[in-house]
Amino acid sequence: MTVAPERPASLVGARVRRVNDPRLLRGEGRYVDDVHVAGMVHATIVRSPIAHGVLRTFDASACGALLALGPDEIAAATRPLQCVWLAEGQRQTEVLLGDRRVRYVGQPVGVVVALSRAAAEDAAELIELDYDELPTVADQEQALRDGAPLLQPEWGTNVAADFRVGDDAETVEAAMARAARVVERRLVIPRIVPSPMETRGVVASWDANLRELTVWSSTQTPHHVRDHLATSLRLSADQVRVIAPDLGGGFGSKEHLYPDEVMVSLASMRLGRPVKWIEDRVEHFTATMHARDAVHYARLGMDEDGRFVAIASDVIGNLGAHPSNVGTGPFRISGSMLPGPYRFSSAGVRVRGVLTNTTPTGAYRGFGMQEAAWVRERLVDEAARELGVDPVELRLMNMVREDELPHTTPTLQDYDSGDYVEGLSMLRDMVSKREVPSDANPRIRRGVGYGSQVEFTGLGPSPVQKIVGFHLGGFETGVVRVDPDGSVVVSSGVMGMGQGIETTLAQIAADKLGVPLEKVRVTLGDTKVAPYSASGSIASRSMTVGGGAVTRASIALSDKMRRIAAHQMEADAGDVELVDGVFRVKGVPSTGVAFGDVAASTWLGWDLPPGEEAGLEVKDMHEPANISYSYSSHAAAVAVDLDTGKVHIEGYWVTHDSGTVINPMIVDGQVMGGVAQGIGIALYEKMTYGEAAQPTTTSFLDYLVPLSGDVPDLVIGHTEHPAPHIPGGMKGAGEGGTIPAPATVANAVAAAVPEIAGKVLETPLSPGRMWELLHEAGLHDRL
Amino acid sequence: MKPGAFEYVAPESLEAALAVLTDRGEDASILSGGQSLLPLLNMRLARPEVLLDINRLGELATWEVTGDEVRVGALVRAARLERDAEVLATLPVLPEAISHIGHPQIRNRTTVGGNVAHADPSSELPGVLAALDGSVELRSQSGTRTLSWDEFFVSVFTTAREPEELVIGVRFPLLRGWDVRFTEMARRHGDFPIVALTVAVQEDGGVLTGLRAAATGVADRPVRLTEVEQAATGRSLDDAVIADLAGLARDAVDPQPDGAGSAEYRKHLVGTLLSRVLAPELGRSAA
Amino acid sequence: MTIDDTVTGVDLCEVTVIVNGQLRRARTEVRTLLSDFLRHDLGLTGTHVGCEHGACGACTVLVDGTAVRACLMLAVQVDGGEVTTVEGITPDEGLSPLQDAMWAEHGLQCGFCTPGILCSVEGAARAGENVGERLDDLLGGHICRCTGYQNVRAAVRLYCAGGQEAGR
Repeated sequence: MTVAPERPASLVGARVRRVNDPRLLRGEGRYVDDVHVAGMVHATIVRSPIAHGVLRTFDASACGALLALGPDEIAAATRPLQCVWLAEGQRQTEVLLGDRRVRYVGQPVGVVVALSRAAAEDAAELIELDYDELPTVADQEQALRDGAPLLQPEWGTNVAADFRVGDDAETVEAAMARAARVVERRLVIPRIVPSPMETRGVVASWDANLRELTVWSSTQTPHHVRDHLATSLRLSADQVRVIAPDLGGGFGSKEHLYPDEVMVSLASMRLGRPVKWIEDRVEHFTATMHARDAVHYARLGMDEDGRFVAIASDVIGNLGAHPSNVGTGPFRISGSMLPGPYRFSSAGVRVRGVLTNTTPTGAYRGFGMQEAAWVRERLVDEAARELGVDPVELRLMNMVREDELPHTTPTLQDYDSGDYVEGLSMLRDMVSKREVPSDANPRIRRGVGYGSQVEFTGLGPSPVQKIVGFHLGGFETGVVRVDPDGSVVVSSGVMGMGQGIETTLAQIAADKLGVPLEKVRVTLGDTKVAPYSASGSIASRSMTVGGGAVTRASIALSDKMRRIAAHQMEADAGDVELVDGVFRVKGVPSTGVAFGDVAASTWLGWDLPPGEEAGLEVKDMHEPANISYSYSSHAAAVAVDLDTGKVHIEGYWVTHDSGTVINPMIVDGQVMGGVAQGIGIALYEKMTYGEAAQPTTTSFLDYLVPLSGDVPDLVIGHTEHPAPHIPGGMKGAGEGGTIPAPATVANAVAAAVPEIAGKVLETPLSPGRMWELLHEAGLHDRL
Repeated sequence: MKPGAFEYVAPESLEAALAVLTDRGEDASILSGGQSLLPLLNMRLARPEVLLDINRLGELATWEVTGDEVRVGALVRAARLERDAEVLATLPVLPEAISHIGHPQIRNRTTVGGNVAHADPSSELPGVLAALDGSVELRSQSGTRTLSWDEFFVSVFTTAREPEELVIGVRFPLLRGWDVRFTEMARRHGDFPIVALTVAVQEDGGVLTGLRAAATGVADRPVRLTEVEQAATGRSLDDAVIADLAGLARDAVDPQPDGAGSAEYRKHLVGTLLSRVLAPELGRSAA
Repeated sequence: MTIDDTVTGVDLCEVTVIVNGQLRRARTEVRTLLSDFLRHDLGLTGTHVGCEHGACGACTVLVDGTAVRACLMLAVQVDGGEVTTVEGITPDEGLSPLQDAMWAEHGLQCGFCTPGILCSVEGAARAGENVGERLDDLLGGHICRCTGYQNVRAAVRLYCAGGQEAGR
């Protein structure tokens, strides 16, 4: 059994308070809108109000702004933004700035700058805009039909990419043909708006003297933003400095450079003044990448005994108006991770990425894996229902066992370590201890549902990135320095965005160096200071890849100090230990040289062993040998009101394994927040489009996210199987809460109301939608 | 997302406010609690030439409980009524309905007059007003008039208030000897309800001697379910009667579909909420 | 008073207001929202702006002791009044008992919604309300996208119980 071990006296595994919290609690955080630069002026972005057409007129001559840049000026001054995740044969690989052809409501066509945001909005209203409208299509299946409006007419289709993941079609069909039973469903994952509480924003400041652009940006990926900004603005990378201050959440939506941010930077260069742009909430609903929006035609094949044979899906993914930075990446990952924790002899997916007149879809917590879990875990429950077996037993029977790991899936994922059976069994025990409500109202139905998943975290070995067409290096760098006064500074290319990475990196460094946590400062997010990171904080990789680098750098630095201390005490390094800030020779308490004295002398270059360099700074570049595969199982207990259609979550349980846990409080927090977002997907959230592809959910009054009353207290159990290939053994913890939650809630609803189980194929399970299902099943109130 | 330009005036007296409305009422938006108006201003969906801020009119910020009504000045904050012991004792349905309006931070600011005058077709208080046969007081420089709820609510966000008039008070009659109940179904607590229902019941020895039922969320303004009210009188509340009344309620409304649910769902909810409010032991509250 | 007494939204007005116990006076546009006034005219950036339509609660401050949305008021409306922001409920050194409970229970992640939550809870506590009983109602007015609320609730309960010092 591997329930998370207690490690007394170790900072790794300790529930320590987060280092950044006091200033955030005091109102002293510094988010991008808190940045004030002398002489700063304010921008608003002019956006297309129509979903498809050609901008004939952009006349800003009477708007009275300090600066107004229209599409032609923007196009002339910039290079297109390059997509970084390219599918084989992807028809579009870059995004033009200042394109007069508009393809979604919210597409930026101009930027206006004035002394205040309000004045900029006043000026924007005075710009004369004239569009020739074109027919629209918002739904990806409609976009596939003959005669559908074409976003790129020269292609003759809206399909931007069409490829397979895993086994080829012939192999899959052969496996399905051997299956005694095939469960087949059309499953839908709706369009989600990431909705961090802080919207996007930038302050761009061009220094004409130094020829340098400084950009404060609310971003998860400062170096990525720097590189793409430099390219687009025809500057050298070194001329651009990106500083990511405190981030008010990201969840994937701030993982690349948006056209808006180039336009604001361009405005600063033209004006020679700092320019601030803060996305407003209504803008966020159309201007920031959406996510999900996929239709799966999925099949699960099994033998007579319910042993899984094959899983397959035909994925029709909505890319939106153009492939985003990550393009078909989420749909691909849905395929790669479709097998989940189960054994299959065959698995294969066809992916089609389809253009529509909607906001492009990109990264969001769960990245394709929530979709995969929705499809797989619903199919598994449907299979259990058809077979008349317990869905947990069906899962346990089909799970890859601990002794079968490492295991390569038919979709070429090399699962590393863990015990999926243990996690689900432990979960079932936890659920069995619940108190079942005694309310005997026959109009309330109750049920418990389960969901399990394996998660791709710690992206990822750079060579693998190359194979899948993801033009990002997957390594991460950690720099650890002990300064002459004995204080410790950690720097890395990963980014804090609320997940507490500043604290957990400090814990690792303090633990390995043997210093108190208070001695360690972590500095992230400034491209002038932080080591290069191609990927930044995405894909649950900060702790796995970045933490691995900091682990190794800290150990190397600790070893060096031990060698120097040993030399100074005329002892063997192997006999030296650090106790209460003093290096001692084991068993000789009278010896001793203080940690701070070793630091001071080493920076003087004095008293070093032969061949030892002065200075105490180690840089470690960590290229992981493999993806790290976290996993989790979830259970939900729901009550369904047959008359109102309301689903109430009465209990929620999680078992989670993300390898070595650095701070259980933080990991629990990640799970809780992730589950809440999953509950949002399950019951509340859906971005919708109406007539002429006009968005219809553009405020928090129409796009509902869970509130406190909608999210129960979770019961969380941990197991801990370290990643064998990661220094420190960590796996990613950021997304395992979100990934299985929608399927788990839906499985509970299906368990509560078996009459509609076969129709629970799409989220959100809102009261209105639930009532339709209940009504069709004849379960509605017939008083 | 910042307001456009407007002329702003914040008079210190009702007379001064009415003078502004006489002059510029056609072009004015009235800023009361602002919890609906400010979002519209911020999104530039409301573009008044004049913003008349009535928050300095302390004379409209009082309420009184008399023998036959609770009269609420237009500027009374919802949260103050919600917590008032006398109101809670005499007309508990009012604080109950108010507790469903948004969240505490909204109710701290939103006003009873503003809520009613905004005439959102799903909002809670207009339904309470309809069930109680309440009325709305309007004043202009040429005088005061009192309109019954039925005269006041015209359509979506539209009332019988003339541009030169100001809503100065809302009158909630006390139904002595009646039991007034409120229930609603919303997607999340604090959201605008999909359907809200206020029901007043008068019983004598298990027999209904009177019933009033008003729904919001099912039409462009609050509606009274008169067929249900008539059919209920003189009957005793058993399961069959409740089912019959629920059916009548469903037939009595003709709602529009929206993102929260179909027309059929809303029709059904009216009956469900009615049966639950009449016989709470039959099912937990939907909201 | 007649319409001649109006000022236009882009005209400047002088707002005199006690903020966090200090008399502040600043000229701002009549249309300036209270949230923007606090942040950009007075430099009190602890109050955050998340939606500008009253739904998220990040900008919640106390106006005359009552928790309200700063994005749904004009700055000119607090002229002559009193405003308390997160900076005003923070001790000179260290943390308030509520802040400390939030820290202890990991009741924040990105911290963007936190100042609004602190103001709501602190406002209710200062008004003598039973915060523990009203917890669901009070937190209902705040969107937090990070924590899933569980630890926020735990923090407020800890605070109500007297904090960590009171012996957990």
